[in-house]
Amino acid sequence: MIEFRLPELGEGIESGQVIEVLVSPGDRVTLEQPLLEVETDKAAVEIPSPTDGTIVDVLVSAGDTVAINEVLVRIDGDSEDKEPTSVEPDASAAVDEAEEESPAAAEKPAPERKPAKEEKKPSPQRVPRTDGAASSGPLKVAAAPSVRRLARELGIELSSVSGTGPRGRILERDVKTCAKAIIKSASSAPAVPEEPELPDFSRWGETITESFSTVRKLTAERLTQAWAAPHVTQFDKADATRLEELRKLNKEKVTEAGGSLTVTAILVKALSRALSEFPKFNSSIHMGSRTIVYKKYVNIGVAVDTERGLLVPVIRGVDKKDITQLSVELTDISSRAREKKLSADRLQGGSFTITNLGGIGGTFFTPILNPPEVAILGVSRSSVEPAYVEGEFLPRLMLPLSLSYDHRIIDGAEAARFLRWLCEMLEGSPESLFKGV
Amino acid sequence: MEKIITEVAVIGAGPGGYPAAFALADKGKKVVLIDPEANPGGVCLYRGCIPSKALLHAAKVAEEARDAEDFGLSYGEPKVDPEKLFSWKDGVVTKLTGGLRSLTKARKINYVRGRASFTSSGALRVVTNSGEEREVVFQNAIISTGSVSGKIPGVDFGSRNVVDSDGALSMGEIPSSLLVVGGGYIGLELGTFFSSLGTEVTVVEMLPGLLQGIDRDLAGVLKKRLDEKFKSIMLETKLVSINELDNEVQVSFEADGKSFEEKYEKVLISVGRVPYTEGLGLENTRVTLDGKGFIETDTQRKTADPAIFAIGDVAGEPMLAHKATYEAKIVAEVITGAKTHYDPRAVPAVIFTDPEIAWCGMTESEAKETGVEIEVSKFPWAASGRALTLNRTDGLTKIITHRGTGRVVGVGIVGPQAGELISESVLAIEMGATAEDMAFSIHPHPTLTETLMEAAEGIYGASTHIMKRRSGRAPRK
Repeated sequence: MIEFRLPELGEGIESGQVIEVLVSPGDRVTLEQPLLEVETDKAAVEIPSPTDGTIVDVLVSAGDTVAINEVLVRIDGDSEDKEPTSVEPDASAAVDEAEEESPAAAEKPAPERKPAKEEKKPSPQRVPRTDGAASSGPLKVAAAPSVRRLARELGIELSSVSGTGPRGRILERDVKTCAKAIIKSASSAPAVPEEPELPDFSRWGETITESFSTVRKLTAERLTQAWAAPHVTQFDKADATRLEELRKLNKEKVTEAGGSLTVTAILVKALSRALSEFPKFNSSIHMGSRTIVYKKYVNIGVAVDTERGLLVPVIRGVDKKDITQLSVELTDISSRAREKKLSADRLQGGSFTITNLGGIGGTFFTPILNPPEVAILGVSRSSVEPAYVEGEFLPRLMLPLSLSYDHRIIDGAEAARFLRWLCEMLEGSPESLFKGV
Repeated sequence: MEKIITEVAVIGAGPGGYPAAFALADKGKKVVLIDPEANPGGVCLYRGCIPSKALLHAAKVAEEARDAEDFGLSYGEPKVDPEKLFSWKDGVVTKLTGGLRSLTKARKINYVRGRASFTSSGALRVVTNSGEEREVVFQNAIISTGSVSGKIPGVDFGSRNVVDSDGALSMGEIPSSLLVVGGGYIGLELGTFFSSLGTEVTVVEMLPGLLQGIDRDLAGVLKKRLDEKFKSIMLETKLVSINELDNEVQVSFEADGKSFEEKYEKVLISVGRVPYTEGLGLENTRVTLDGKGFIETDTQRKTADPAIFAIGDVAGEPMLAHKATYEAKIVAEVITGAKTHYDPRAVPAVIFTDPEIAWCGMTESEAKETGVEIEVSKFPWAASGRALTLNRTDGLTKIITHRGTGRVVGVGIVGPQAGELISESVLAIEMGATAEDMAFSIHPHPTLTETLMEAAEGIYGASTHIMKRRSGRAPRK
């Protein structure tokens, strides 16, 4: 019998929530058949069966939070001995394809430093009785007795302090630096005004209360964080008449390749050129250290509207892919995002985001940054407008673009130039974008 | 019944109790210190460390005088005046404990001579030596009652000829023959003393080696010398019975399935020490004991009863005076509100035999048992100039480092004055020093401390006075 455990789902993910259990005891399953759907902070994934066999026992149910490595189901495999075995499939088995690149470090939240909690146990704690290996005293964190005393007084866990002494030895100043950082982070935390209690709506009629879904919770948190960056939106319109002709011309070939040649795909390609021309728009900033990180890669996130809410899968290495490849990949990740088959990795590592609401309508809007990125391009629905060209009005297909940017790093003129450059490329040399079709 | 209201009651005035009382008094606490002895000191000062070291000093002088014949100084066999020797030892004890009495008074600590017993988690009943009863009401109590000699079932000691360490230290005579039961440090130290002054000493031990828990290479150096000095060391031998005759003791043994008998003038039972909680009334508190009878405590030395602390031998291994004193300081700080914990990286231990053995941190065998990856460097004293001038080249200095970090995690020394040499290593381990740190700290020449520097050099390269690791060569100085 196989004890099938929750596999690793991505870097930094410790647990997931069971959305749906797709099998019950007694069910026949085949290799790779989805057993259950699990949602993490980053994505929802289907967990495939590691074998052909019969489900003996299901140990989790919808709504449960399960830790990585926790047993999910017991399966009586078809071709195995009867000794209980533990199977921890590779994370890549949970998603269709393994990523070659590793997620960008910029996406990883900085490790939290917590002040040590003084343990107060009601019953006496057995202490090592000898100065022996059991206590491994000599192997504990390297710090002088005076430094350890200081850390205890300040309530700082030595294991959370990075030592700057020889071979990582923790010095007095390291403990003090750590303490200062904790105090600073506590006091400089964004002053969120105390949220007032909601009024009692039932006085005016019936209500329904729902908890945030994971995606909603993360979106809300992310956008609150984004709000801290002072940002401005620049509007412009690109004449997409020629572009649209080219799009129609090449559409079929891309469809044959398995993709869909959309305005978004074309803009992703165009953006990769603009970002190499204006590297500041492909950067991140850190106020604490007053540094700018320029990225030499172009990974573009594309906002996808799904049943569960907004997801932003990332297309990596955009500058190295042609329009067909981009179209195919975009089609693939969008549908996977909607089908909850996206691995957490595919949602990380973006350096710029594009959000296209043109399919729904509207003229302009003000997108909010996707931190730690410094700019985002919003696309609205194009419409035919009269353009005054050489003494006469001509019908031109105009594409409204909205560029929001972090004003701390990007000046208004730079943003205007960036957006104009993009528009002029779409108008003036759209052919170059279609190489590779 | 006289009622004493105090902030802290300290029960037992040994090397745990009196430093705790002193530290608390210095921090402004009102302290009552309770002990049956006339003055503070405990087993350590009255019947342990101090008197045994006084006697061992005498033994050392005798040994060195004997060894001096090698280089042309002859004194002949020493004439021993046991009465004078033992009273000199008593004088040392009196002087030290008297000093503690003055320090206790100067700190305005209420020293009550008597035995205390808990009546609740907040009060003690003390029966003074003169039979009066007192009630001591406290906010915090510290139990530092220490330990007593372990017993062998069926064997009484306390008679004139069958004694424990207390009896041996106050024997007042040098017997012609002595059987030491137990191959631990107490028996070997006292055996060394009596043997140096002319007693034929025999050691009997059930286990296959002396000094269990100490690395065999260190114990081996001592064993080699004891094999010469003692009449015999009987390992894997069981003591079956002890029969006290008029002026001697008949002892029967069993080894390899064979029984035999021997007669000795005196028998010393030294089979370890056990925590002393008898009559303490712990049943009236929430204090708990572990399987071996030690009071269970957390790393702040709090017992299961939040008002009551326990330190020293009664609170667990290692049963060493300096560990008790360290715990005393921790508890005094905890009681006065500091967030201190018992968290040493290394506790040194010393055996005052000849040669001495001292070590701290991790032993080589502990590292092996726990799978810690280590590097070991040994420096034999045959390559030490200082050891040669002392006519004692039988020593060994060993440094153990952690392979991953290069940090010193353990040091073991066997040789004369090993106990005086070990502290540098404790500091090194506490500071997280590497072998390189020790090797690049200048050590004075010519001293035995150089053996530490050279052993440290051996960890990452070659030491000056050894060609290859573990192949000794005479120094060229």
